[in-house]
Amino acid sequence: MSLFVEQLINGCALGSLYALFAIGFGLVFATLGILNAAHGTYASWAAIAALAAVQRLGLPFPLAVLVGVAAGGALGVAVDQIAFQPLRRRGAGMLGALITSIAAWIVLDNLAGVATGQDSLSFPTDSYPGGMLHVGGIAFSTMQLITIIAMLAATLGMHLLVRHSRFGAAMRAVGWKEQAAAIVGVDPRRVVLATAFLAGAASGLAGVLGGISTANVSYSLGEGLMLKGFAAVVVGGYDDVRGAALAGVALGILEVMSAQYVSTSLRDGITYALLLGFLLLRPRGLFGGTSFVRA
Amino acid sequence: MADFWAAYQSTLGFAMVNAFFALSTYAVLSAGMLSFATVTFAALGGFLGAQLAVHLALPPVLVMPVSALSGALLAYVVALLFLRLDSHWMALASLALVLITRVVALNATALTGGVNGLSVPLSLPLWVLAAILAVICVVFWRLSASWYGIAARAVREDAAVAATLGIPQRRIQTIAFIISGAVGGLGGILLALMLQFLSPETYFIDIAFTMIAAVVLGGSYHWAGAIVGAVVFTALPVLLQAVVPDFEKVANGICLLLIMIFLPRGLIDPRALRLRRARKAPSR
Repeated sequence: MSLFVEQLINGCALGSLYALFAIGFGLVFATLGILNAAHGTYASWAAIAALAAVQRLGLPFPLAVLVGVAAGGALGVAVDQIAFQPLRRRGAGMLGALITSIAAWIVLDNLAGVATGQDSLSFPTDSYPGGMLHVGGIAFSTMQLITIIAMLAATLGMHLLVRHSRFGAAMRAVGWKEQAAAIVGVDPRRVVLATAFLAGAASGLAGVLGGISTANVSYSLGEGLMLKGFAAVVVGGYDDVRGAALAGVALGILEVMSAQYVSTSLRDGITYALLLGFLLLRPRGLFGGTSFVRA
Repeated sequence: MADFWAAYQSTLGFAMVNAFFALSTYAVLSAGMLSFATVTFAALGGFLGAQLAVHLALPPVLVMPVSALSGALLAYVVALLFLRLDSHWMALASLALVLITRVVALNATALTGGVNGLSVPLSLPLWVLAAILAVICVVFWRLSASWYGIAARAVREDAAVAATLGIPQRRIQTIAFIISGAVGGLGGILLALMLQFLSPETYFIDIAFTMIAAVVLGGSYHWAGAIVGAVVFTALPVLLQAVVPDFEKVANGICLLLIMIFLPRGLIDPRALRLRRARKAPSR
């Protein structure tokens, strides 16, 4: 029984990383209409930045996480302004932005490889709270607890922001139709910048926490998050923060459990079979409603 | 000249194979849908064709129609499932299909050889490849001027207006998927013959991104754009490697970015050509 609970916690912690990734990816897709292939590289770069903050500047753990999150957010804004803003001005639509995001992905991915010397780096063990916690015979690491709490806080914060604040209403308005939002007094530029920053920061948080707990800081960190986080977006629905978060956690648990109780080689197969099932049976995601667009 | 030919022969071959993938993507794009499912069609066509060629020793000439047909059939099934989704969801779903394709390829060892891959000890002369591409080009050219081509353009520009003109959107998009599947399946077996080795990684995200980038780069409003884009996108990394050897991929990404920012409608843009002609007309 205690093995089951421990694996459940492992799955939650892993899934929290997918969830953090999915929240940002979905936010950009819903608000800005961009299928951002570069979203995973923000996570890699955030982890690299946090590692540099620890090694070069000797910053303590909370500040290093903050540096990583800020780096992810800044990169999100930079990519948006360089790769997406020129197209937005010309009204090139979803396709053009997809291509420039692929371009940004190629550039950032390869530069991340150069930055880490094509190696997989890891955080020094004394730079983060690495202890184990024991609660009633169940052991789990402090990092897992931190990861899960960070995910819950980020999800709650993002949900409140998007659904229950004036700014969130502005974001949804821009996502629905930018011109109409501008007519009723929303400044689309501010919304775009804030969305890009929040999404990058969420991805960055996933990158730093994932880089620590998997002891892997390299370009492949972002790629791994991308493939699974993307599945969470499809299952959970991109237009709802809660759905993406829940799906991320569920996929993490499913992955750990199927590796434990079914077979390691079928682990990814089960994840993607579930993905296919959702696509066919519930194509708009867990909380997906109907959308109203001009016929 | 002989050296040059030897050095760039394989680049030319891959450029032509990529042109098939780009045309397959263009086929769905021209009916207003963004889909990465071409990778899946290519995987089916490639693995099935390779198995037929290796185990039944069928000549490539017979294998190719089978690959194209299998791709078209799969595309019909995919169209039945995907056409219920709206545009954003279809893009996501087709990307998910690409991820699933790799998992299936890894586990369906009887068809794909699993992690060990599948060697395809056959080759294809470059002129045959060029001839097949030429035939496909004629098909796309005739299609673009046909009732179907005009209807597809209407659906892409404005589905609601197209519906009021009595154009059956579903049927047009299903046909687009079937064309995409046939060309994609054909491209899959041609890639297998070019590489002479297939692994589950052969048909994956890289092809998906390459082909969509090629189409948009070349110009997604004319079938020739797909071919131009595929050639540019295949040749660019090779040329850049000669210029900036260590950073050719970074330079490749930057080139892609610059082209998209300054020519968002691609290298071949029928609208720009028409506008230029219209501007000249009054002075004549």
